[in-house]
Amino acid sequence: MSPSLARFVIATRFTLIEHVRNRFAVALVLLFVPLWISLGQFMIVDMGVSFRLWATGEILVARGNELTQISGALNAVTLIVGFAMFSVTFSSGTFDRRLAMAGYPRPQLLLAKVASLVLASAVVSLYATAVMWAYWSPRQPVLLAVSLFSAAVTYGAVGVALGTVVRRELEGIFLVVMISVIDLALQNPIASKGADTALVRLLPSYGAMQSASAAGFSHSVLLSCLGVQLVWFVGAALLSLLAFRRRTRSAVTGRVPSSTQGAPCSLPTARRPKSTTRS
Amino acid sequence: MGALMKVAGIHHAYGGRAVLRGVDMELPRGSLVGIVGENGAGKSTLLKILAGELRPDRGVVRHEGRFGYCPQQVILNDSFTVRQHLELFRTAYSLPDLRRAEEIMEALNFREYAGERVGALSGGTRQKLNLTLALIHDPDVLLLDEPYQGFDWETYVRFWQLAVQLRTSAQSVLVVSHLAYDVDRLDVLWRLKEGVLCAGAGLAS
Ligand SMILES: Nc1ncnc2c1ncn2[C@@H]1O[C@H](COP(=O)(O)OP(=O)(O)OP(=O)(O)O)[C@@H](O)[C@H]1O
Ligand SMILES: [Mg+2]
Repeated sequence: MSPSLARFVIATRFTLIEHVRNRFAVALVLLFVPLWISLGQFMIVDMGVSFRLWATGEILVARGNELTQISGALNAVTLIVGFAMFSVTFSSGTFDRRLAMAGYPRPQLLLAKVASLVLASAVVSLYATAVMWAYWSPRQPVLLAVSLFSAAVTYGAVGVALGTVVRRELEGIFLVVMISVIDLALQNPIASKGADTALVRLLPSYGAMQSASAAGFSHSVLLSCLGVQLVWFVGAALLSLLAFRRRTRSAVTGRVPSSTQGAPCSLPTARRPKSTTRS
Repeated sequence: MGALMKVAGIHHAYGGRAVLRGVDMELPRGSLVGIVGENGAGKSTLLKILAGELRPDRGVVRHEGRFGYCPQQVILNDSFTVRQHLELFRTAYSLPDLRRAEEIMEALNFREYAGERVGALSGGTRQKLNLTLALIHDPDVLLLDEPYQGFDWETYVRFWQLAVQLRTSAQSVLVVSHLAYDVDRLDVLWRLKEGVLCAGAGLAS
């Protein structure tokens, strides 16, 4: 294994350890996901409803409780992954900075965060899909899982950005919850009249919701919606990338040193004796 | 031998409050230097600037060689064990092994905690690890901010033995503290007052 790959693997392993040690997030995954979906199954009437898929104009027919489970599952995975990524980023911010200043290459640290985000989102989305599958048969379960995943990674990236920016833990948690609740409440295809579809289309999990509804109750594959979700993810990821670079950069030059080469600005770790000046 | 670190004309202010007003100093090779000063005098601010954590408003810092920085505020990750911290910093510093880390843990007497999660350690033990992380790559210059806070007497004594050992092997150690007990162990003692360094002879309290 090349040294830079090895550093990436080590950083990823440690990030995953950190996630698993976050007992509260793990408990949320184990309990909150099935709870939300089961409440949808048993508390909502299973009357057939027809609704229009905004993305295509197609009219779909679903049972009310199944449709509720989809938006409930989206709510659960976005909250959990958003919270988990926020909480890890928030609590290890200064530590990451110390590691980076000591010479841990920033790209590897950052990629490790991305890898853990992807893994966590995949696990939670598969789990939520499996729980729904236990109650009914979504037409396209794989696409359903992919749709949940796309929303989860988006919120995870938002969580990383918030974890780098906010000053107090509660602020970040409140923001994650608020964004997810508003986002999904407005998209409820039955309750919301879809009157202002222009606004609804701008919500952060619009693509995932459309694609997940299509996966549940039709045979259409809405690649364009997954594309919209991808754009949201990339935007959020770029924001968190910028925030992370800002947070871990060395004050010496204001530049982010590439520590593997012992760049002169990376003072704490310059491998070869060399003289540096800053003014 | 020349100085391992040269500092000239460092100024720094937080908002309107000027904390450093022209700090000049040199850290010769193989020296043990102390900086004392009251709470809030600006010692940690100066050390952050020397370590590249903070950019000064004005002034020049020249470094030679590698250095290690032990911050006043303990910076660890509560989810990881002591050994996991060492593993991460071994990777950060690109060290082939943790032999030096083992020696330091032995010297500071906390080897038995290697497998413990840091969140469950006592304050003094956390500080031992905080300090160890700054030392394991055998830096040429050590910047230590209140390194013995929370240490028991025996560890305190062992810390100074370690510092003297480092000096003997031509490394330079800069210790910052608000206490000036151990002036006789130091080669140079500075006092940070009103934003400048002045000679601090005869400060033993
Ligand atoms: N981030 C900051 N923002 C604003 N003011 C700050 C900040 N950090 C430090 N200060 C102020 O700068 C002054 C110097 O602080 P510093 O932490 O450098 O003191 P110190 O000499 O290390 O004190 P102590 O002995 O208590 O550790 C203090 O008055 C402090 O209030
Ligand atoms: Mg201080």
